Amino acid sequence: MNASRLPEQFADLEPLVSEWALAKQEDREKKRVASTAEEIRAFYDTMLPRMEAILAYLSQFPVEGIPEQAKALLFLTFSLTEISAFVEFYDCERIVPNSFAEHRFVAMHKDPLV
Amino acid sequence: MGMPIFDINTRWTRDVYPELGTDPVPVEPCISPEYFALEQERIFRKVWLYVGRVEQIPNWGDYFVREIAGQAVLFVRGRGDAIRGFHNICAHRGNKIVWDHDGSCRWFTCKFHGWTFDTEGSLKGVPDEEMFDNLNKSAHGLIPVATEVWEGFIFANLDPHPKETLAEFLGEYGQRMSGFPYGDMTTCFSYRTELHCNWKIALDAFSEAYHVDFVHKRSFPGQFSGKRNPLSHLPEVRLYPYHRSCIVYRNPDFQPPPVAALTAKYRTSPLTQLATMQTGTELPPDVNPTRSPNFAFELTGVFPNLLLHITLGSWFTHQFWPIAVDKTIWEGRLYSYPPKNAAELFALQWNNVMARNAWLEDTGTMEATHAALAPGVKTHFVLQDQEVLIRHSYKVLEDFVGFYAEGRGAGTNGGRQK
Repeated sequence: MNASRLPEQFADLEPLVSEWALAKQEDREKKRVASTAEEIRAFYDTMLPRMEAILAYLSQFPVEGIPEQAKALLFLTFSLTEISAFVEFYDCERIVPNSFAEHRFVAMHKDPLV
Repeated sequence: MGMPIFDINTRWTRDVYPELGTDPVPVEPCISPEYFALEQERIFRKVWLYVGRVEQIPNWGDYFVREIAGQAVLFVRGRGDAIRGFHNICAHRGNKIVWDHDGSCRWFTCKFHGWTFDTEGSLKGVPDEEMFDNLNKSAHGLIPVATEVWEGFIFANLDPHPKETLAEFLGEYGQRMSGFPYGDMTTCFSYRTELHCNWKIALDAFSEAYHVDFVHKRSFPGQFSGKRNPLSHLPEVRLYPYHRSCIVYRNPDFQPPPVAALTAKYRTSPLTQLATMQTGTELPPDVNPTRSPNFAFELTGVFPNLLLHITLGSWFTHQFWPIAVDKTIWEGRLYSYPPKNAAELFALQWNNVMARNAWLEDTGTMEATHAALAPGVKTHFVLQDQEVLIRHSYKVLEDFVGFYAEGRGAGTNGGRQK
């Protein structure tokens, strides 16, 4: 795939797209659990310095009708929300420490934009 | 109740609500099959229960089905906008009418023999009708279930003749919690699970702030407790005849880590926008009436099985449906304003993930607690002053069940520890 999947000014994040631009929360959860602590940390460290610019860019799009490239960027930020607490609060553990079995939680909501 | 008190140093049980006493509270209501059966009969088939939001069924013919105390109830919006409840039973020979959890239709047709009912529950069509002798169709509509709406919350009462209206049941609590823009915060994030524990063990775990520093030490390392309030003491508690309410404070000194802080620019949340949160803009006048900037959320319990929390820009519920003495369906729902742009959607998603993580921590204790209590070795819960909402919940429960008043219970003295 040669065409850029992200807006031009975020082309530096292109290598993250295949692994982390995931539309469904279920897939983001699976990705988190399947990743090593180092992979989670690396994703966090790559995304964080770009987040101010990313959010400023995303804030121009109403939720209905987000262009495809911006959507891929948004899904990257969704993966950041999925793992940020694990970096910031849980010492890069991949499941919430001392918690209920996550797979037993049944989501009743629908993923946005899916 | 006198003038409300706002002070984290208050001894709520001992000094403000001394009628609750300070004795340990019996475990038996959580593990006794006899108690469970009485609860089903005297509470869940007698009082108003929250079953869903009006937004779930916005249009004529939209419906959902809820299992309440072993009875399936169908809730449907009628032609004239009214929401009605009916037992999900065909008037002919009792087959189930609706088989989906939710959906939309203009009439309900029984799969068994094709009897048809409109959205008002009236029997409209009977195949081979002339073969029934003296069939008075108007006498054979769906069996109604009392259904009323408060602030967009649909409540039902299985009692064919409810002892009080929903407004009477909610009383002063309902008046105080009215006027919040529940219906504008429609973006819902929600989970359910089946827990192998009594419904009250799950309810109780969410009904105090004492656990926050321990169960949530990883997810909430200082968002709520801090130097000013080291163990999240409650600054306000209000108890009603059935229901209960308290304020949970946030820690104004908390500095959120980077991603948490980023979300604060795009979303009001008690978890993030700590330094700049404006209070009082949407809350009912008598919720956080002092407009304390330390207000995180109002934690309220609607008897018997609903916790309703309101905060700035969102509200959330926990509900507990008893299935057996040791089996409960828990449902957690977090409602927010629909995000206006993609950046807000990011912030909302972060909020939702944090709620999920915290709920995973909360539910993590419940099954182990039930398993430990089930043998009956430990007979009483030891409650501290800050666990006053739990104490009040068991008091109201027993007011309805009358287990100890009727001299039931194994070797107990009115449930008191000997």
